[in-house]
Amino acid sequence: MSLLRPLSKLPDLNAANVLLVENEEHFQQKLADVMVNEKSVIVQVRLAKSLPLPMKQEKSRPRIDLVVFIVNLMSELSLHSAEASLKHLAPGYFLGKVCFMVTNARNASVPAERMEAVRKLASALNCPLLFAEDQTPDGVTNAAERLLVILRVAAGCVPMTTALFLSNLTRCTISTEAEQQNSDYDA
Amino acid sequence: MEQPDNAENLEADAPIDGLGPEGPNGYQNTSPIDILRIKEQMFNHCVEMSAQINAVERKRSCSTSEAERNLAENVSELEEAKTDQFIKTLPLHRMQMWHAMAEKLKQNNPESDSIKAASDRCMALCSQIKQLQQESRDMEDQVTDTRKKRLELKRLTREKMKAMDQLMCKWDPPELEKYKAAQQKGQLNMEKYKTMIVLTQNVLRGILLACKINWLDDPKIKAIAMTLEDLPITD
Repeated sequence: MSLLRPLSKLPDLNAANVLLVENEEHFQQKLADVMVNEKSVIVQVRLAKSLPLPMKQEKSRPRIDLVVFIVNLMSELSLHSAEASLKHLAPGYFLGKVCFMVTNARNASVPAERMEAVRKLASALNCPLLFAEDQTPDGVTNAAERLLVILRVAAGCVPMTTALFLSNLTRCTISTEAEQQNSDYDA
Repeated sequence: MEQPDNAENLEADAPIDGLGPEGPNGYQNTSPIDILRIKEQMFNHCVEMSAQINAVERKRSCSTSEAERNLAENVSELEEAKTDQFIKTLPLHRMQMWHAMAEKLKQNNPESDSIKAASDRCMALCSQIKQLQQESRDMEDQVTDTRKKRLELKRLTREKMKAMDQLMCKWDPPELEKYKAAQQKGQLNMEKYKTMIVLTQNVLRGILLACKINWLDDPKIKAIAMTLEDLPITD
């Protein structure tokens, strides 16, 4: 079975391992360079283009605390590849150890249906949805900081908080028509 | 299951910088803080593992809608538990603070003097507040008293007016009887003088017509002629 399982290996103490999955392999390198500079936790970043991961590195791979799917909204292939990779994750990961990160959301040439599709995917899986700006170093730093917050919780380094608890607070939600109407009346 | 294309699915490690005091897998140089941190981490991991075990146990009996309902219920339970805990820690903190303040007051530092001064000022302000509240209550009572009196007076005036109206209705007939005779006499006189005036007017009109004077040009005669048309011709 090539499923990636969350709890099949022993955790490293005071360490956090994150897996960045991106079809284009641009952003993940920049993010990784920023994230490993974190001082409070030892961050190990593993990069992949898609799941399933090759078996030959199974033994040396540490336990992955957080899987981040980076979707570039400019290409349809990015979203499809992310969706296909989702099947290779064990269901245990969706208790807060999966996160979606979207780049180029502000671009005008992005069709709205793609953004909606990503939103629906994230809310169906109860995962947080982050937006990142990948062109400037400031944008990369900000995205890395936000990922680190979630990563620290997923690795258990924050007392009294687990990934499941945080995901209930940060998960993406899409409001239905009724809720939108209610919010209009309230406002 | 073999991987289809190893060349495509390359997995790489980003270079690691900045090792902590322990090293990635080492246990050297563990201070008490590190041990506490490790304990918290282990606790979190155990919670996650128990959550996964629970998830697996419940998998057989649930459909997605039921699972979502369970999720919503559990989230609300969690929030209730958190608010409960917060509410209970509030009095605990309050007690701790008061205890600390009491301890502080027992000592004689400049700080305890300032605390005493502050509490004395609070007491003075509180007694002032009480006094002012009492005064305002008294004034409100006075206001309600005057209002009551005013209402009473209004009621009395209205009754008096009603009584006056009734008296007015009752007293009218006797007056009529006194003056009826005088009224009738006056009316007879009026009729008499009316007929006299009409007669003189007719005579004047006849004279004017017979003399065939041009009454339009002469203003005095015109004025007199105009008045002739007012009264209707009687008899």
